[in-house]
Parts: sequence; C-alpha cells; structure tokens
Amino acid sequence: MSANNLFLKSAFVRAPLKNGVGRYVCQLQRIVFKFCKSNGASRGMRDFIEQDLVDFSKDNPGVVVYLKPRRHRGPVIVGEYLNGDRLWMSVHNKTHEEIVKWVELFRTQQGNNWNSRLRKYQYTNHPSVQGPWTPFTFKDPELNTAELPDVRFGSNNRLPATATEQLRLMFEKQKLDELKTAE
Amino acid sequence: MALLRSGLQRVANIFGGTQGGILSRFVTSLVPSENKSVAETSKEVIATCNKLIEQNASRNFAIVHILGKQWRVTDGDLLVVEGYWPPNIGDQITLDKVLVAATKDFSLIGRPLVQPGLVTVTATIISKGLSHTRTHFKKKRRKQFMRINFQRAQQTILRINSVEIGNKINEGRNDV
Repeated sequence: MSANNLFLKSAFVRAPLKNGVGRYVCQLQRIVFKFCKSNGASRGMRDFIEQDLVDFSKDNPGVVVYLKPRRHRGPVIVGEYLNGDRLWMSVHNKTHEEIVKWVELFRTQQGNNWNSRLRKYQYTNHPSVQGPWTPFTFKDPELNTAELPDVRFGSNNRLPATATEQLRLMFEKQKLDELKTAE
Repeated sequence: MALLRSGLQRVANIFGGTQGGILSRFVTSLVPSENKSVAETSKEVIATCNKLIEQNASRNFAIVHILGKQWRVTDGDLLVVEGYWPPNIGDQITLDKVLVAATKDFSLIGRPLVQPGLVTVTATIISKGLSHTRTHFKKKRRKQFMRINFQRAQQTILRINSVEIGNKINEGRNDV
C-alpha cells in the first residue's frame, strides 16, 4: 500500500479538448450494462433495460450502449469517456429509479473525478486583466521623480496628532492671542 | 501690526508649511490639474469609455453572481458551481447578475447590478457530476461519541464563452 492509495489525490479543474469553447461534445462515449438474467440483485437493472434503455440510446446517439448478460454475476455499469477515463460501478440490489439516476450521472459528467479532490473551483488563463495591484497603483506619479528622502512622502500620515503637537499648537495660539491683546 | 503679521506668518508656517508643517499630513497637496465642472468631466469619461467599447480594445472581465457566490470571469474560464442547479449539459446560458464589468482601462461598477442589457456573459454547461466523497468525522474524547458521515456534492462545470459589453454606457437598451 502506498501513499497514493491512502490519500486522496488533488487535481485542478479542466475540460478535455477545450470542451464548450466552440461547441459542446458529450464526454461519455461508451456505456456497458452487465447483468444477470435471473439473479435478484440485477432486478433493477433488468427493469431499466426493459423500460428506459431504448429511449436512452435514442436520446444519446453519440453514446455506444452495450448489454452484457452473464450468469450469476452482479450487475455493473461501466462508462468510458473521451479523455480515456473508465468508471466502473456496482449497482448490486439498486432499484430501477436509482439506476436511472446513476446512468444520468454517468451521461452528464465528463470523466472519472471520483478519486481526486479539486484544489481550485475555477480555472482561468488570464488571472489579471487590469494588472495585479501594487502599492503604487492609483498613486500620484509625482513620486517617480521625487528626490528621496522627502518629508512629504516619508511622513507618516496615518497617526492622529500627538500630544506634543497639540501642545505646540495651543502654545502658538496663546502667543498669537497675547500679541493681539498687546496691540 | 508688523508683529501681528510675523506671528500670523509663523502660524501659517506651522499649519501649512511646504516642508512638513504640523498639518501637512492631514492635507493632501493633490490638486486636480484642470478645474472642470463635474458634469463635463463625467461626460468626457463616458465618451472615452464608449470609444474603448467600440474599439473592443482589450479583454473584458466581469464579476457574476451564481448560486450565492461571486466569480470573476473572463472568456474561456472554467467554473465549478456546487449544489443543486437545474441547467443540464450542453445548455447555453447567460449569466445576468453582473456586479462588475470591466476592461483593461475602465470598470463599470453595479449598484448592486450593472444596468441590465449592458453586459452579456454567456456560458455553456459542460459537465454535471459529483465531487469526491467528503468525510465528516466527529469524535468527542472520553464521551463515547463518534459519528462518521459521507457526502458528495453536485458539481456543475461551466465554460464561460464570452463577456461582452454590448451597449454603450448611458444609452438606452437595444432590446426594449
């Protein structure tokens, strides 16, 4: 047993052959229904084959459908996809409705992603159109030609006035008032 | 009088001296280079944006709202939408809740949505599958409590076909 069996592999979102850019192509290429004609475990599968299989293959002319009866073996669905994935699923004792749902899932998904965790839920070839933000974005271009160090650019303008500055202001104001009264 | 003037000068220096007076950090020295009226400026800006839209100069992107999440999309993107969502494979849909549409040079910001009909985001559903099996494991120590649940979420993969700014800004809709 290796780490590959113990841990879930991770993957990124992708679509085979740029699917959906020009047109959409159904990714399911072949589906095989394996079942037993007599065993009770294949009951749902036999119902599906009797009632829905013809409609399914009519609706999906691009999907090759195989039926594989085999004596005293469990029912199985195998899907093969355009990207080479093969998905095997046992439908032992599954009812007709359940099998309808699973077949729909086989038809609509684009491959076997059951054993990989998606790392990102979005894929883009153009991560930034307007350019990534930098500290200089939307800043005055005056900074480009300024001679540094410069008091204007170097000053910390995020702090409120300190007590010393307030005192100094009060002092200057007081002096000004004194001047006025003197005159 | 002279005394008063010198005193005033000093106060002025303290308050607004060019070399970092006390209040220099509260005052921005950024004065708009041209003193135009606001209406005129906005008209010019809109005209420039309309010209850019006409030229189709750069790639567009938009922020769209799908199933409670906001996505930044541009042409050719793939999105994975989780949860129950009716559209089926092969469907072409337009994403109508556009919060922001932008090109390289300007951004149209909706309040909350960009004016309907202005921006068209079209997408194709390319896959509807299930996620991997997620394990929810809970255990409380020394309390004889343990639960393990497994769940798989429905995942719909979308291909964004185009993000187009169709109309001109501040003009009536084409389709009405």
